Amino acid sequence: MTPPHNDSPFEPPGSSRTPTLRPRVTRPQTEPQSLASSTASLPYRNPNASVSSLFASTSATAESRSISPSGASTQISSSVFGGAPGEGNQPAPLERPEDPRNLILQSFIPHIAIHTSLDTQELVKDKGFEGGLWELLRPFGEQIPGKVTIRDSVGAGKVWEDFAVRFVQLGDGLESPDPVQGSRRSGEGNSPPENGNKSPTDALSDRQSRTGGDIFQVESLVDRHLIHAEQYPIMEVVDLLIAKGDQPGNTDMPSTFYTLYLRRLLSGIPLVPHETFSHPVACIIAISSRNASPIETLRKLYDESSHGAKRLPVWVNNDYLRYYVLVHDEERDDITKSIALFDQMKRHFGLHCHLLRLRSSHCVASDDDSVQLPRPEWLAAAEESLEIQKRENQEDMEDSYPCLYESDTTAIKTFIREMVTQSVVPSMERNVATWNDQVASRRRGMAGRLLKISKWTGFGGSRSSSSNGTSNGSNSNYNALQGFYRPDTPEALMRKLADYAFMLRDWKLAQSTYDLLRSDFGNDKAWRYHAATNEMAAISTLMIPQAISSKVRSETVDQMLETACYSYITRCGSSYGALRALALGMELLRLRGGSAADDAARWGSRILDNKIVGMIGDALIKERISACYASKGGSGSSGWGSRTRKSVLWSILSADSWLTLGKPQQAKARLDEVDKRVKHLAWKDGLQSWANANAFLAGLRNEVILSLYPESAIDGPGALKGGEIETEIGEETSEPFVSRPHRRSLMGVQAPILAESESKPLRGMEEEEFEDENSNLSPQLQFE
Amino acid sequence: MSYYFAIIGTQDNPLFEYEFGTSKQGGDGIARFAEQARHMNQFIVHSSLDIVEEVQWGNGQMYLKCIDRFYQNYVSCWITGGNVKFLLLHAPQPASANTSRSSTSIGANPTSPQTEEAIKQFFTEVYENWVKTIMSPFYQVNMEVRSPVFRSRVAAAGKKYL
Repeated sequence: MTPPHNDSPFEPPGSSRTPTLRPRVTRPQTEPQSLASSTASLPYRNPNASVSSLFASTSATAESRSISPSGASTQISSSVFGGAPGEGNQPAPLERPEDPRNLILQSFIPHIAIHTSLDTQELVKDKGFEGGLWELLRPFGEQIPGKVTIRDSVGAGKVWEDFAVRFVQLGDGLESPDPVQGSRRSGEGNSPPENGNKSPTDALSDRQSRTGGDIFQVESLVDRHLIHAEQYPIMEVVDLLIAKGDQPGNTDMPSTFYTLYLRRLLSGIPLVPHETFSHPVACIIAISSRNASPIETLRKLYDESSHGAKRLPVWVNNDYLRYYVLVHDEERDDITKSIALFDQMKRHFGLHCHLLRLRSSHCVASDDDSVQLPRPEWLAAAEESLEIQKRENQEDMEDSYPCLYESDTTAIKTFIREMVTQSVVPSMERNVATWNDQVASRRRGMAGRLLKISKWTGFGGSRSSSSNGTSNGSNSNYNALQGFYRPDTPEALMRKLADYAFMLRDWKLAQSTYDLLRSDFGNDKAWRYHAATNEMAAISTLMIPQAISSKVRSETVDQMLETACYSYITRCGSSYGALRALALGMELLRLRGGSAADDAARWGSRILDNKIVGMIGDALIKERISACYASKGGSGSSGWGSRTRKSVLWSILSADSWLTLGKPQQAKARLDEVDKRVKHLAWKDGLQSWANANAFLAGLRNEVILSLYPESAIDGPGALKGGEIETEIGEETSEPFVSRPHRRSLMGVQAPILAESESKPLRGMEEEEFEDENSNLSPQLQFE
Repeated sequence: MSYYFAIIGTQDNPLFEYEFGTSKQGGDGIARFAEQARHMNQFIVHSSLDIVEEVQWGNGQMYLKCIDRFYQNYVSCWITGGNVKFLLLHAPQPASANTSRSSTSIGANPTSPQTEEAIKQFFTEVYENWVKTIMSPFYQVNMEVRSPVFRSRVAAAGKKYL
């Protein structure tokens, strides 16, 4: 494309948008109409509902999230989107789900493993759930109905409304391929029955897809969502229309894609030795009423989970709670028999039992009391990608998301609530109290400090078991050869204590325990442990709702993040861990505002410096750095000390990245942000007077408009002369139907842009700016 | 080591821009910025004004030292009594051939006291010339400075100290 070519054709849109700092003057007039026309055109788009519903997490959240809690907006948008399934019956989202603290609350949660008998598998399969009981329970674990009271280490109860647990299949999340293969090989004999008719390799790849911790997967998933958003940009229009009103609060909202990025980064936390978040807190052992020899099966399942084929690796503490569930088939089996059996179970296994009554027939959407299964939000990235792929390949457009009888939903909800409030949380509390008493306080006290010098021999003969593993002869509990602490060593127990405390949201206890562990792991040169503990220490410090002075912050949080980042990247080569630590640290610091926002931005640029993210992540992080700077408000009327110019710079960088990635919608959003922020500057025309920078910015804008409205380049200028507003509507409505050539950015090729700066629209701009310049000679007048 | 020097008026507008390279360590005094640095330098310097406006209240000095960093670009600042800012962006050469030699130069370590001192001398000399230039009766506030004499003097100062 040569400069003379693109200069005259897109002059009309250009003249309405680019020349001044308020390029969107025509926007408010056109938007309502474009919305109306787009809703009118909806039927054409409807057939895509089944696929697009999968993108609801970004597009639907674009409405319900980025806009304030007002109900009206959600309604408008969900109607526009052609009824995203599961939207209606999903529990009301948290007040601000994109708040990073909420993300953390919802991601570092107790994991409950599920291990079922074959007959349970079949029963649930009859209901239409291939994945077994796990698939049925999973979405309900993400939001436990009602309040959950948790006692912290001092005994004070605190009520949480948004407590959640994550259900995983026993053995999910094993990261390195070796252990997985090992367990597969050892479990060769009984893996086919466990996984129904799936071949073992299928099950293996399924399991791998459920394991997160892969930045590449996260990025490709977000890319998919982005492609979808680029193709159906209608949401953006609605978004703009609704969000138009509130200017200042908007900068605080992370884009839905960044939220998705973080969420996927945090979902499917891999099962690894150095952190115990994904180690099971409890295991559900389930049989069904169809089973002929129930008690024996239960015993067998228990044995499998604790030392049989399904035993988790040695570094997982095996003393987790076992919860026994009898799934009763309401339609085929006799309830009296089941109750009798249940009583027997209670006698054998104690209180941690539940009778879950489900209907076994397959529920279809047309049934009377059918409810759609809520969509789980915390899928791992690979899993969601797979699902999108599957859905896209499907020919029939009907949305086949599984349904459930309402009675079943209620039963499941009651079951999960009862299990969590009566068994899981109390047992975790008890464990925390015990470990805190027996391990941590000994270490914390004076004696512990002395003992530490002579390497305290902890707890139940752990010395003898670990000393034979360590070849270096130093008396540490760390098994340097295999790279883990045995689960019964004090270090491992304390790490578990801290993680439990973190999951139970007792930040103070978690923080103090992590803090103790940091030096221990450092002394033992257990670098992965060291990094992970530093990471969590920083996060839990920031989670404590307490002001931290900038001096303390630089001594604690900065140190911890620095160490975590260094250990993760340099010593362990784990960019996932580093990214997680830095991204969360950045978000939490940003929330604190003031000088912490500066730090946040610094950590953000650290992510970029270390090159631990891919292209998508790069653009997203730039966007976030911009938001960090923007969130640092200045003091006084003129905003001394604000970072508006910095945030403008990063927004522009991010827009450039998006454009290079072929995502003009995103680039446009960023450029709109630039315009909005520039308005807050004391000298709004400051940036315009920099020739090269301004030319670059104008080039970006032109490029965005060109790729968003290719028609304007094709049509002659005559076609556009008629009426600007009309053509704009035409563009916006027809936009989704043209197969837009995702053109690569011209930014890579620098010459045209610079040449463009010489071309006509820019000339006009410079003239105008020159006029401004003149009027600026009386600055006071201009300023107000 | 490449330098980009900008004088910024009170309305964030550039009054004078000059790019040059190091003349120490056998440098030829020619700036070696990448093509895209043309606009990036301006963006960076403009965004550094945020920091300047915060730092300028912190101490009474005119020379504010190195105030900002953007990737490998460091920004030093000198602020005049008339709220005109001198910003010098210095970017170490990206892994050039003569790394061994330049490792001891002022360019290699942008925050070292030597570099700081050299930049201070540069700023002082430019400031002197700046005051002389704007004393011209035809000069008005925030007017761009086009004087070739001033430009050559800045070049000379750059050659002398950096």
